Amino acid sequence: MTWSGSLTTAGTGIRRSPQADDSELLTRVAHGDLEAFEHLYRVYRLRLTRFLAALLKRPELIEEVLDDTMMVVWQTAGSFRGSSKVSTWIFAIAYRKAYKAKARWPDPVEDPEQDDRMSTDPGPDEELGKQQLRAALMKAMDGLSVDHRAVVDLTYFHDMGYREVAEIVGCPIDTVKTRMFHARRRLKQAMSGSLVDWI
Amino acid sequence: MPGPILSEHTPHDEAEELLPWYATGQLDEADRAKVHVHLSHCAHCRQQLALERQLIDEFQRIVPEVESGWARLRNRIQAPTPVATRARRSSSSNPFVEAWSLLTRPAVAALIAGQLAFLVIAGTVLVSLGQPAYHTLASPPAPAAGNVIVMFRADATEQDIRKAVRSAGASLVDGPTPANAYLLRVAPARRQLALKELQSDDAVQLAQPIDGSGS
Repeated sequence: MTWSGSLTTAGTGIRRSPQADDSELLTRVAHGDLEAFEHLYRVYRLRLTRFLAALLKRPELIEEVLDDTMMVVWQTAGSFRGSSKVSTWIFAIAYRKAYKAKARWPDPVEDPEQDDRMSTDPGPDEELGKQQLRAALMKAMDGLSVDHRAVVDLTYFHDMGYREVAEIVGCPIDTVKTRMFHARRRLKQAMSGSLVDWI
Repeated sequence: MPGPILSEHTPHDEAEELLPWYATGQLDEADRAKVHVHLSHCAHCRQQLALERQLIDEFQRIVPEVESGWARLRNRIQAPTPVATRARRSSSSNPFVEAWSLLTRPAVAALIAGQLAFLVIAGTVLVSLGQPAYHTLASPPAPAAGNVIVMFRADATEQDIRKAVRSAGASLVDGPTPANAYLLRVAPARRQLALKELQSDDAVQLAQPIDGSGS
């Protein structure tokens, strides 16, 4: 299964938690408050799952890394010193865990029929066009390196600034900008003009 | 990896690089103003900005269908700790129960087969503990018995193993066995902590207490 194969287009609706709430929750988690941890888990579950789905091509790994990430949060909440946002700290843990998981479990072989399946969904012409565009976008994402996918996802979906992205993936700011620039170019090339038809 | 784009930075390049964060509203005021001014006289960047916004819109319509459950994680947190395991042992002293509790942790389907193998292996090691060690007449007194059994991930390096053992404050008693299990000895007073450290170590696949060792 590919990154695109693990996604639906059911719409978003992920809520963002205010930083103050996150810090308060994390403080309670550091004192072993399981209820606070459940709340924190529910706040971050979709966001982290979305992020990990962009990095990992094995759905079963996404679940495992999500749980491993939150276990680290549970076990080390007391070590968080507030030098970054809670979200930055948690996403950085997830990024490192995903990298380790990828090393253990290489990506599966791509399914060559997948794009055909996605492009034959019934629907009005405009909707079909948008589905094809989305499929092209997801396929293009699959073609990027995990480093590039991480930067794209954190920027486009998680509304993070380049400084926060740099902190999560552990690289200089200029590298983030460069990765984003190249990723955007690749995405636009791969979509070969289909996006332009819709703007 | 700074590329040629950064080394030949013009105001246009700089603004174009910042477009994604301009579109998501994640630039500070100085950067935002810089891009805003550039956009007023660069048709190319205005077109690129429109593309950015379309990309972002499409991205935000995509959500994963991967299920993830709080119940699974809660069970993992509330899995028996070594202390709880010892307390429970008053009514059940079967060491295989501990190995089984590990196997019932929610995990990746691909790992289940491997974990079943660990059950067999852990049982083998535990049985071997009950067998008298072989000593020659000249051999010194038997060393302290192991009180923790550990198996490392197949891809764990020697450095990973050394680091995990040291971090846990443990010493190696025996191993690797033919099944690649190791017996460790930790001070009884800190065995709970050591087990927690081992179980949270990425290189460790299994870490379980072994009682009857005086701990």
